Amino acid sequence: MKKTYLTLAMSALLVLTGAGPAHAQKKGGDVVIGMTAAPPSLDPHATSAQVARNVNLHIFETLYARDEGARPVPDLAEGVTISADGLTYLFKLRTGVKFHNGKDMTSADVVASLERYRKSGASASLIGAIDSVSASGPNQVTIKLKTVQSTFLGNLSSPRAPIAIMPSEEAAKDMGKASSIGTGPYKFVEYKPDSHIKITRFDGYKPNPAYKERDGFAGAKIAYIDNVTFRFMPETSARDAAVETGQIQLNETTDGPTAKRLKGNPNFQVIPVLPFAAMILKFNMAQGAGTDLNFRRAVAQALDLEEIMAVAYPDIYRIDTSWVYGGSAYHSARKTPKQDLATAKATLAKSGYKGEKLTFIVHNDRPTVDTATVIQQQVSQIGVNMEVKVADWPTTSNLGLKSDTGWNLWTHGFGIEPYEGPASAMSHWVKGQGQRKADPVIDGLFEKFNSEMNVDVQKKLFVDFENQMNDQAIAVNMGNYGLFQVATSKLKNFKAYRIPRMWGVWLD
Amino acid sequence: MGRFIIRRLLASIPVLFFVSLITFGLLWLVPGDPASIFLDASATAEALDRVRHELGLDRPFLVRMGEWYVRLLQGDLGTSLLLNRSVTEAILERLPITLSLTAMAFVVSVLLGVTAGVMAAVRHGRAADQSLMSLALLGLSIPEFWLGLVLVWLVAVLVPIFPAGDYVAFAKDPLQWARHLALPTFTLACIQMGFVARMTRSSMLEVLSQDFVRTARAKGLPEPYVVLRHGLVNAMVPIVTVMGIMVGALLGGAVVTEQVFSIPGLGRLIIGAVLSRDFPVIQGGLLFLALIYLSVNLAVDLLYAAIDPRVRLG
Amino acid sequence: MTQRASFLRRLLSNRSFTIGASLVGLVLLLALLAGVIAPFDPLKGNFRARMMAPSLQHWMGTDQFGRDILSRVLHGARISLQIGFMVAIITALAGVLIGASSGYFRRLDGPLMRLMDAFMAFPSIILAIAVSSVLGASVINVIFALAIAATPHTARIVRASVMVVREMEFVEAARALGAGHARILFRHIMANAMAPLMVRITYVFAVAILNEAVLSFIGVGPPPPAPTFGAIIANGRDFIVAAPWITVAPGLAILVSVLGLNLLGDGLRDVLDPRMSVNTR
Repeated sequence: MKKTYLTLAMSALLVLTGAGPAHAQKKGGDVVIGMTAAPPSLDPHATSAQVARNVNLHIFETLYARDEGARPVPDLAEGVTISADGLTYLFKLRTGVKFHNGKDMTSADVVASLERYRKSGASASLIGAIDSVSASGPNQVTIKLKTVQSTFLGNLSSPRAPIAIMPSEEAAKDMGKASSIGTGPYKFVEYKPDSHIKITRFDGYKPNPAYKERDGFAGAKIAYIDNVTFRFMPETSARDAAVETGQIQLNETTDGPTAKRLKGNPNFQVIPVLPFAAMILKFNMAQGAGTDLNFRRAVAQALDLEEIMAVAYPDIYRIDTSWVYGGSAYHSARKTPKQDLATAKATLAKSGYKGEKLTFIVHNDRPTVDTATVIQQQVSQIGVNMEVKVADWPTTSNLGLKSDTGWNLWTHGFGIEPYEGPASAMSHWVKGQGQRKADPVIDGLFEKFNSEMNVDVQKKLFVDFENQMNDQAIAVNMGNYGLFQVATSKLKNFKAYRIPRMWGVWLD
Repeated sequence: MGRFIIRRLLASIPVLFFVSLITFGLLWLVPGDPASIFLDASATAEALDRVRHELGLDRPFLVRMGEWYVRLLQGDLGTSLLLNRSVTEAILERLPITLSLTAMAFVVSVLLGVTAGVMAAVRHGRAADQSLMSLALLGLSIPEFWLGLVLVWLVAVLVPIFPAGDYVAFAKDPLQWARHLALPTFTLACIQMGFVARMTRSSMLEVLSQDFVRTARAKGLPEPYVVLRHGLVNAMVPIVTVMGIMVGALLGGAVVTEQVFSIPGLGRLIIGAVLSRDFPVIQGGLLFLALIYLSVNLAVDLLYAAIDPRVRLG
Repeated sequence: MTQRASFLRRLLSNRSFTIGASLVGLVLLLALLAGVIAPFDPLKGNFRARMMAPSLQHWMGTDQFGRDILSRVLHGARISLQIGFMVAIITALAGVLIGASSGYFRRLDGPLMRLMDAFMAFPSIILAIAVSSVLGASVINVIFALAIAATPHTARIVRASVMVVREMEFVEAARALGAGHARILFRHIMANAMAPLMVRITYVFAVAILNEAVLSFIGVGPPPPAPTFGAIIANGRDFIVAAPWITVAPGLAILVSVLGLNLLGDGLRDVLDPRMSVNTR
């Protein structure tokens, strides 16, 4: 009797304090998401484009994935055993995982997928340290590395061009020809180019039993929604109007002023996503004015970061010049540089710059072009003469990534790397990739970081990297920016992340 | 007439060949390629090269050009590098959409334009004439993408009557199809209406001043009958010639309208292909557009001959 | 009264022409005086005055940089008119060259016209986008691209006039007297083509202004911070919902300029050659 009363009292207490199951998840319904562009490929290995990730990471999963804090945790694997010398990784796979075509996932599929990625994946260099991959059992995969790599699990779980696990028959197909068959909570239905991609809930999906809730790209991915349609709507005004009129339930990207209008509206939820990327200014250090340290420093000193970011990303920026995002264990608060025109002029005078016209390349994305416009204005105040060359992405990236001539400065977003971690952030500057001239200090730091397992030593190495970037003005990190997402209030439990996750959310 | 058609068809071949040459010329000069669309800014030059190789873009230009012509003669326009389907499929998927938009805009502009032109001609010199023609001229002078943007703002956000974009297939839901096409149709038609109205008016004025019209009036026939049966029918001839140009203009205008309203038509396909360097789609798409343009011209000339017995073909 | 004087009188009494000329004149005046009458520097942003709605201080509001839209529109008129004017001139020259050669020299006619047909089969926007992508985005390249798009139709018009006159008696007479081809072409034949050419060029000017705006909208127009009409609209299109004034003002400016030019063209056509086709866009 006493026990029953106790139980009753406990239950009453639970109900009153709301500590019981507070969510009333409802299964069912369709969600339409307005996205800025169409994925260039539905083959997850073939592309590192953000819009491709948005879709593919609903359909596919990886061995290890990043959690909410961007740390690598098991997803399709149950766990890993690493040998004492750090060269052998033994992955134990989860059992009972089904592909969308009903087939069970085995080690053969994992090996095939990894080999495919190693050979021709979009970011194959991420797993370049692998020496061999083999199935050491029906649910076991052994990976041997050539050298110790402290960041291996991080690389394996990189969402950039995810090392998705697909059936071995699909993995045998050429890049771009694999069908969209994965293990994820949603399965592919149709793709109409220029229009939309539709995915539907995969009822054979079993959420990872090791987790209770969603956690970044890992965790328990429970799908309540029936169908998700990603609509390609490159025109911002069309997306903005569509969410207001209920044509779509989630606008994946919009800007501050537009989102502000809907702030108080009970029918919508405005979700700021910050940080999403960092805005960086790169110099061509192989030729021209960029070879001169004083010139680079002068430009950096002439910048008013607050003005740049406020114009490009109104209401959704944060001045933070660390090369990883706040929240990461490697993040350190760095001094915010203030615009100092006098010093900048003096530094410029020490350089070899004689007033010649410089080329500043950007691709035709409004915030990026605006960033360049403000920078152009700011540096003109110290006498630097810059011409902004706007072109589409293929032209701009082709020039910036492959050519030593034809450009002096380039600005664009640096999104996934700071999220993935210090090694990712550093890798862009290794071997002179980003700045077109190798910096031996950075190359050395990167190598040391990769073979260093001790986190404290790693942190110090990263600080050294950030100092080097700053001292040598190799590139300027102008700050974090983000985006606003606008959804109908009916979409419950939505939490913004690197992709608009449609698991763990429901319509009510 | 058969000989005329055959001769015209034969004459189109060099034109189409020139079109493909011009396109190849531009593609040869244009920097960049679709590899960069696959990869984001963190890509390495080496990754770009790898993707380029996968896409077969590292082979010599002339080889790729020759291959394209060979395939063309077999009726194959190739495969899109970014859309995961054949170029022909990509075009055919979008054709009905652009046709819906262009046809609707055509019908609306002809109906409204001809009506306005006739009314203006009948009330020549009076207030109605002035105001209708001013409206027509106004319509001609508006940048259509700006009109589209403004309409999106006014009618989709401020007073949400029509949806701001997208496309719903007629087969799926006729009412939604019409609603979604309402704003873009109006945007496109706005400008063409002006042309049709002015053309109709000047043509009508000329016809109505002719002797046979005076005779009809003298015979005591009712005015509406005279205007329509005698006037309009004879005035249609120059209007029909203009229709060919109109279709060309509508197709060109559709390109931009589709962009503003996010309609997945041919225009967006081609612009998207140009901006992302999807070479096969650019080649095939432009050739296809040229084909449509030439066909419409041929149809207009045939129609012209059918209406006006004085015109001898060839 | 001399022919020229009577021509002028007819022109000035034509309502279309006078209204059109006044509008164009107004726009031209504002553009020329932009440096003097614009209240703010069109290129300089004011951090604290971003995205402000039209007010007494900023008659047309400000954009996301805090730049005064009115000043940008005034300066933009100068650049946009320059572009339109240059396109018109180049198109006229190219059109005359190609059209006259085609109309006069029978052997050149076939291939030249097929080539012109090929260019006309490209929607002009796509042609302009492609040319801009190839040459890069700059004012000169935009002019070039738009001129290429407008030349074929102009060439056809010139060709048609040349062909009409080519067969006339006085041309035969001139040739019999030993006049060279060039002389015949320029002294006698071109005079006939002048009228439709002038009307056509006015429309080309108008369309160039419209098309420059489209190119900027697509993203291949003149690079920042040039305040062409199209660039201002393109700049504000992301914010149409939150700050519509950025887009509305330049659009109206285009409307007024193009309307003026169209009226001008109509007036010229009425006086020079009323039988000409109304539609030459």
